[in-house]
Formats: sequence, structure tokens, C-alpha cells
Amino acid sequence: MTNIQIEMTIATIILFIIIMTSLKHNSMSIKNSISWLLLPIIFALIAIFPNPLTALAHWLGFETLSNFIFLVTIALLIVLCFSLTLTVSKQQQQITKLIQELSIMKKRDKKDEK
Amino acid sequence: MKVLLIVPAYNEEGSIEKTIESISKANYDYIIINDGSSDHTHAIIEKNNYNHIDLIFNLGIGGAVQTGYKYAFENNYDIAIQFDADGQHDVSYIDKLIDPIKNNKADLVIGSCFINKSSNNLRSSKIRRLGIHFLSNVIKLFSGKRIHDPTSGFRAANAKVIAKFANNYPQEYPEPVSNFEILRYSNLRIKEVPVKMNKRTAGKSSIHSWKTLYAALNVLLSIIIISIRRKSS
Repeated sequence: MTNIQIEMTIATIILFIIIMTSLKHNSMSIKNSISWLLLPIIFALIAIFPNPLTALAHWLGFETLSNFIFLVTIALLIVLCFSLTLTVSKQQQQITKLIQELSIMKKRDKKDEK
Repeated sequence: MKVLLIVPAYNEEGSIEKTIESISKANYDYIIINDGSSDHTHAIIEKNNYNHIDLIFNLGIGGAVQTGYKYAFENNYDIAIQFDADGQHDVSYIDKLIDPIKNNKADLVIGSCFINKSSNNLRSSKIRRLGIHFLSNVIKLFSGKRIHDPTSGFRAANAKVIAKFANNYPQEYPEPVSNFEILRYSNLRIKEVPVKMNKRTAGKSSIHSWKTLYAALNVLLSIIIISIRRKSS
């Protein structure tokens, strides 16, 4: 086993445990976990099949397998980050509306009490 | 015609009483939107039993004013006027502001301090005037129509505009952005009426000099994005 395989195996196990623990404690929804699970799956593939992936990396013009791993990981993180921003923007709009409607409702209630 | 003054208030303990007294004296309906003030604004409002809505969290000027439009819409007001709590706006101009709506000459009326040069204003620094002039040109470029004072927070809206704003209102730099949207993407008519604005009696303006450039660029970006969005939809 090469060093990179050992490192990828460790990374896979740690990431997998973290994601599974969050899922178990209900602190991450199943829907959101799927994109995160891609990361340990990619790491596992590298640990299991380093040679074909190294060949692929070379064919794509990368000098080493590690550079390829960096690129793939960063690309995945960018996608995750972007989708998070979309979610936050949507929730911001929803929260604004909730604050407005609730505040108006509270005002209406107070008027009815009088 | 039922007229409502929307008074957004964020930390206006020094001026809110004076402002509301002047409104009550002129016998207008009003609603204060207390935007999560952290000073004594809320205590003053409660003490005097002013008509108000407390936002449960701070929303910023766009979200606060929109709450006022929602209230106006639900209570079937014919005209809603944005009126600052800091004493900049003068109730004596309200008649002039709602006149074009009453005569069906306009749907949205802006109280403008730049429309003629003589009605000069105390409210702005040189850099601020430059920023407003820049925005005026940007809006002209993108909509083909000129608004002299696109950032004025002294505006009167008729029922059509109230319904529109209750449903959809920009959260940041709401005045120039919504003025542009109405000019460019609706058949609603905007008219400017010259007004004089007072120096703030208390508190600080939410737009500081060095932030003017940032604000102007932000509005420019918003206008460009809205143009792209509308084109593709």
C-alpha cells in the first residue's frame, strides 16, 4: 500500500464517521448528506484503485495523483459552498417574511384584546 | 381617501416623540415600524400609546418599510406615505405629495429636494449629492427616464403601488431600486414634487460619506441584475 492509499483510507473513515454521526443525531438532513457523502466515496475510490486513477490523472495532464485529488476536492467544495449560499439566500427571504407576518399578527392580536 | 404614514424607526429615541406629535396634530393615520431598536424607542412608543408594530427581529430599512406597506394593504389604505422618524420630513408637504395621486396624475410620488435648484437642501454633503446624481444618471441610462432624487425616503404610494410593494420590495437600498423597477417594468407613473427637508433633529444618518460610493455601486449592481433577470424571464 502506498502512502497516499493509507492517507485516503484514513480520510475516508474519518469523514464517513463524522457524516454518519451527524445523521444519527439528526443534526444533518438525509437530503443534505448525499452531496457530502460524495467526498468519502471519491477518497475510497482513490484508496482502492490508485493505479487506474493515476493513469487517468496523467492522461488529463496532472503531474501527480495528489494534484488531481486537490482539484477534484476543491471543485466539490465549491459546488457545496455555492449550494449552501443558495439555501441561505432562500431561507433569508423566508425568515424576513416570517418576521413581517408574525409581527403584524402580534399587532392584530393586541388590538383585538383591547 | 384613507391615508397612512409609514414611520420606520430604528433607535430614534431622540426624535420619535416630536415626529409623531407633528403627525397627530395634522390628523393623519400612522404606523410606526419599530425595527428591533435597542435604545428607549420602544419604551417611548409604549408610554405614549403610539400605534405601532414591533418587528421581533431587526430587518433593516427595506424589510421594515415593507411591513408598513403590508399593513397598509391589509387595512385597505388608499395612500401610504413613507415618513422618516428622525425629523427630516415635514408634514406640511404631505398635501402636496398626495395631490398628484388624488388627481390621478401619478401612482407614486417622490418628495424630491433636487428637482429645482432653489429648493436647496441641508441634508447632503457634496459626496452624497455626487452619489445621488450618479444614481440619477444610472436610472436614466437603464430606464430612459430621469428621477432627480432617486434616494428620497419621502414617497407617497397609491393602492396599486401599495399592493406591489406589500408583495415585493427590495431589502437593500429600497428607494432607488424600487423607483427603477417601477419606471422600467411597469405602467405605473412616477412624479416628483419639490420638498424641503429638515436637518435631522437627532440620531445619525444611516448613510455615511465614505459609504456613499459603496452604496452607489451596490445600487448600480442591483439595477444591472434586475435588468438581466427581467430580460430572461
